[in-house]
Amino acid sequence: MTDSNETSNGRRDFLKGAALGTAAVAGAAGGLFAGIDPRTGNLAMPQARAQDMRYKMAFIQWQPHTVPAAWSKGIEDVLGPQQIVDYELLDGQNKVEVQASLMDTLINQGASVIFLQPIDSVALAPSIAKAKRSGISVITLNIDATEPHASHVEMNHYFGAMDIARVMGDAMGGQGKVAILNAPPGIIIRDQRTNGFVEGMAEHHPGIEIVADQVADWDRKKAQDVLNTILAANPDLKGVYGVNDSMALGAVDVAKEKGTIGDMVIFGNDGEVAALESIEAGELTGTQYTDVYQQGRLAAAAATVLATGGVPATAFAQQSHLLMPYIIATRDNVGSIQPAQRW
Amino acid sequence: MRIPRATLALLFFFAGTAVFFSVSAPRFATATNVENLMSGFSFVAILAMGQAFPILVRGIDLSIGAIVAVVGMVVFDLTLIFHVPGYLILPMALLTGILAGAVNGMLVVFLRLQPFIATLATLAAYRGLVYSISGRQLVEGLTTTAITDRWIVGIETYYDIGGWTGISQFMQMPWFPLSFFLMLGVFVVLQTVLLATRFGRDLRAVGGNHEAARLAGINTGGIVISAYATSGLCAAIAALIMVARFTTSTEALGTGMELTAIAAAVIGGVSFAGGIGSMFGPVVGAFLLGIVLLGLTLQGVEQFVQQIITGAILLAAVSYDRILVVRRRRRLAADLVAAS
Repeated sequence: MTDSNETSNGRRDFLKGAALGTAAVAGAAGGLFAGIDPRTGNLAMPQARAQDMRYKMAFIQWQPHTVPAAWSKGIEDVLGPQQIVDYELLDGQNKVEVQASLMDTLINQGASVIFLQPIDSVALAPSIAKAKRSGISVITLNIDATEPHASHVEMNHYFGAMDIARVMGDAMGGQGKVAILNAPPGIIIRDQRTNGFVEGMAEHHPGIEIVADQVADWDRKKAQDVLNTILAANPDLKGVYGVNDSMALGAVDVAKEKGTIGDMVIFGNDGEVAALESIEAGELTGTQYTDVYQQGRLAAAAATVLATGGVPATAFAQQSHLLMPYIIATRDNVGSIQPAQRW
Repeated sequence: MRIPRATLALLFFFAGTAVFFSVSAPRFATATNVENLMSGFSFVAILAMGQAFPILVRGIDLSIGAIVAVVGMVVFDLTLIFHVPGYLILPMALLTGILAGAVNGMLVVFLRLQPFIATLATLAAYRGLVYSISGRQLVEGLTTTAITDRWIVGIETYYDIGGWTGISQFMQMPWFPLSFFLMLGVFVVLQTVLLATRFGRDLRAVGGNHEAARLAGINTGGIVISAYATSGLCAAIAALIMVARFTTSTEALGTGMELTAIAAAVIGGVSFAGGIGSMFGPVVGAFLLGIVLLGLTLQGVEQFVQQIITGAILLAAVSYDRILVVRRRRRLAADLVAAS
């Protein structure tokens, strides 16, 4: 009964968070534009475009991965039924020059809104400035840019990682050695997810020692190799934190192979469906789950408001910023994540 | 002056591709798209010209993407950590590129390593070096700090030539990026060096027949090292253009760019058989790759299809090069038989 109540509460909290997030984006879209007419209360914006007009929107992803694929699906969920938007997913190929070139092409095409997962916060800033000069709104996903733009919608990397540390430390009884399987340096979300975890451990579980922080390139196979090396040096390792789920699942593979699956505490980050299934199977201990479909839908909802409302990119007094709600999914609450929310 | 048939074929293919996309791809034949082509592919053309030099001496330089990253990070560190003025950074960046390229050449000449192996090794080593000197890791906050030194970011300047000349009154003209003029400058200098200097003649001789060139008294080792140093220099110029464009540098800057540069050079008629090629071909090859990528993107063609098409063009160019090599050998053999 208690479990059922906790699950129910967890689900309610999660749905409440999602609803608040939606409200936040709606507020952001509505409240941050400069120049409200004090007489009519209307936004002082150029006249909305003709109703029969079609709008061009595109999402420039970093590189193919489950997360941007789910964002794109969420975006399509919102844009598709409207039947007035031509939407496409473009691949940045993990190269800033490719992303910049694609930005140029979309500006040339007269896109209404560009969704962007920048590889680098600074490197894409000139492209965003160029888009703004052309009146094109840019909405960034997960990695913010130094050039202010229409909106930024991101997972809660830092505080989520702090919570992972707290829950992981609890599962380890506040003692033992932990290794981090990390992304290559130079990426902001890597730093946020690492710093949040390290500082969370120091705050909640000072008895836990982080003995290794090795790069495994976001990759499951690489994570297996790296963890085997770490285990050779630290055979008494009790916990592994993968900065994304793929690396955490690589750690699960190693633990299964060595027969330590029940003893090793393994956490990931993102909340992709493979990780959730692994938690349900009693393999992965937990992950930070974000409804990435919803993240894409929120971005698309804001984009629709901007495009159909004829809001130019220069109409913003300041950039809106939405942190997505999340839960630390473990075996206790993973059932609260509905099939439609799994990506 | 006789224009080689291969060059004519390349120009014809380039023009045909441009016409095809002008007709079929929306907003391809616009001033903005031409501007995007110039700003997005001038540095690729510079890299391709640089890459042509090792290929001309029957080598290859797989490390140019990593050299781009090394030079980019040197510029980043000198600007944001050490606050060195931009006018001093520019020559230091070029020297870094030349040095990195010369090391490649020395590995090939003194250790007699296969160019593929030597530059594959330095690709890894230079990329590792980038991570170890990365100011983004060493100093907190620099990941989100833009380079503002006007000597560096001034490279990303655009000129309204249509407005100055009055042509814009009659047709829409693109603004020309400084990087495009830098590319033209590199082209003029390297083409002159290659075709009108003793160094250029020796370089082609070493590429054509290394042993014969050595017996003729040419300093073959020096020539090979210079070829790789030239490649490094071009990588440095490309790095400066990219850093100016992005107002920063990243550890992954230039990743995979060696393959694009090699493709552009080979499409441009620089033969893997050595000794054959000019600077004109790599430039056209780079912009050909550019119009294909931009045109297909504007047509909404999936990017994996674009990569397949790019690969097919490269394959066609290599096959054509192979046919020319075989023909040349047959002709040479026939001449020898006739002479004897």
